[in-house]
Amino acid sequence: MAPDSDFQPQQRLHPLSWLFAFLAFARQLILPAIAFLVFGTRPDGMHWGAWLLAPVLLVALWQQWFYRYGFGPRGLVIRRGLLFRSLRQIDYERIENIDTERGPLHRMFGVAQVKIHTSTGGRPEALIRVLGLAAVEEMRTRVFGAGAPAAREQAAAQHGTRLIHLAPGELVRYGLIDNRGLVVVVAAGGVLHELGLFERLSAQVHGALESSAFVELVALGPGLQVALAAAAVLGGLIVTRILSIALALITLYDFTLEARGGDLRVRHGLLTRVALTLRTSRIQAVHRTESLLHRLLGRTSLRVDLAGDAQVGNPQNAQATVRWLAPVCTPGTAPALIAAALPEVNLDVQPDWQPLAPRAGARVFKVTTAIWLLVASAPAFWLLHEWTPLALLAGVPGAWLHAHLYVKHTRWALTPDAVMFRRGWLTRALTIVPRDCVQSVRVTRSPFDRRRRMARIIIDTAGGTGGKAAIQIRHLDARAARALAAALYRTATPLRASRAARERDGSPQALWS
Amino acid sequence: MDMRQVDPATVRVWRWLTASLAIPPGIGAMVAVFTDGGPWAVLPGAVAAAALALAWVWPPLYYRHLRWRLDSTGIVIRRGVLWQSWIALPRTRIQHSDVYQGPLQRRFGVGTLKLYTAGTRHTRIELPGLAHADALKLRDALLAEDDGRGA
Repeated sequence: MAPDSDFQPQQRLHPLSWLFAFLAFARQLILPAIAFLVFGTRPDGMHWGAWLLAPVLLVALWQQWFYRYGFGPRGLVIRRGLLFRSLRQIDYERIENIDTERGPLHRMFGVAQVKIHTSTGGRPEALIRVLGLAAVEEMRTRVFGAGAPAAREQAAAQHGTRLIHLAPGELVRYGLIDNRGLVVVVAAGGVLHELGLFERLSAQVHGALESSAFVELVALGPGLQVALAAAAVLGGLIVTRILSIALALITLYDFTLEARGGDLRVRHGLLTRVALTLRTSRIQAVHRTESLLHRLLGRTSLRVDLAGDAQVGNPQNAQATVRWLAPVCTPGTAPALIAAALPEVNLDVQPDWQPLAPRAGARVFKVTTAIWLLVASAPAFWLLHEWTPLALLAGVPGAWLHAHLYVKHTRWALTPDAVMFRRGWLTRALTIVPRDCVQSVRVTRSPFDRRRRMARIIIDTAGGTGGKAAIQIRHLDARAARALAAALYRTATPLRASRAARERDGSPQALWS
Repeated sequence: MDMRQVDPATVRVWRWLTASLAIPPGIGAMVAVFTDGGPWAVLPGAVAAAALALAWVWPPLYYRHLRWRLDSTGIVIRRGVLWQSWIALPRTRIQHSDVYQGPLQRRFGVGTLKLYTAGTRHTRIELPGLAHADALKLRDALLAEDDGRGA
């Protein structure tokens, strides 16, 4: 898209932008710096890191000096650089979201980091670091005032209705359910290992092993040793859970979901305030998850897939962009939230839940038993010697129970607007995909499937995470799978495209005629 | 269901392609024979022979199981001998398309139609072995009524 040649952007960044550009780089050096100060480790990276900071500061100042943005006749124009110039135009109609992120420092100076998303999805089209709040508000009104009809609607309805707000008590529950504390511990362990902390620790441990206290521990006998080990594991579990709760309180503090002008707005964060918009027209699927812990605490989790979030070729990032509808909510409020996320799906229709193929249970049982035998044989033989066959047999009823419960809880349904799939008995998940979000349908049959007249169906949307299709159902009856696939194929015509056309033409009847 | 088959000329393309797998182990076997490593020729020789046998048997089988159909909604492809799949792609979901021809395919006048979606797991759906002219015609037919909006 060629920018309008005579338009020159005039607006500048906030005067303190260089500070945030500089800090964004310096942040990567913070952990090593702390380790250096606290533990006296001396990673090789420190020296050149410190030397890099001065040029980084100069580059940040340079970039800020020559950065201009402006509101052209057709779109937002951003000009960067002097020697290597780049001029980017983003058409107003294509701008889907203007999201802001504000850390404590941002709030101190009254500025925000702005991300501009287009329908391409995935990475933001432009990252503006940083703008004053008034400038952000001006950008919102200029972009959405001039642009897409949906955005005009949104501007008209400034005051949204609050759908859910999470009190700290709810976040504690979420922290208990979620296990991100463990992830942090593992990641911190990795960083500390890189920094050479473990060598120091192992020296200390060696010292401890030779001390008199350890000799006494050995003398305590196996029973107490096991008890001590169990206490250590339990302590570790408690620590990771506490970490998880703290993380939940910090990152999801004041989590608010609002419906505004037909779209959903999410705000959360204690230190870094995140504000983002979930366009309902981009929502490809809603996932509900209920683990055992969820059920013990009487809660469920809801998240959505957004079109373009798939981030092809970048699976690490896919994990980071979980689009929560509600990290936790009561099962009673879930239907209202799902309805808000999928306004075009009639959820009042009682789904006609269909089971898997009649012999699916037998197959799950066989596969589970085979996996059990493979995994458990070696340790069982090593630990139990002649009792091995008995121990292995003990797993068979477990496998049978798993197969029975799995098949009992796994169901699919096709409603006039959506396809639904719920699965699992320990962790129960429900996925709802609107029929007009289906990109392609595939039915595959392995030789094993064909022998038992079964098939697998893969329903692909534009918003799966981690390269996975939105819905994948194994062990379906072959005929049912083909019928489901044919039905989805026929109705995958995007209603939303026609809705967009209707909005363009301004004739509401166009969709139904 | 009247599903169409692709151009039979593609069987020869696949035969040559599969047979070319026999070249590296074949060379290995030759080297072993000529350097007096007699017994060492057996393994690469067997691999080369297996590749040649596969080149003879597999392409006609795959050809027989590869079918496609164009209808008012989009395109349906059925393929696979052991692992069979049935793929349905509505034409409104096609983002863009390629008609691809390798050197060997050009020699036999066939091409592969590649259809791209905005999907996650299957972003590219391929229909190999079409006569090149048919591939172009099919592409035009698929894109004709589409305004290019997929997601």
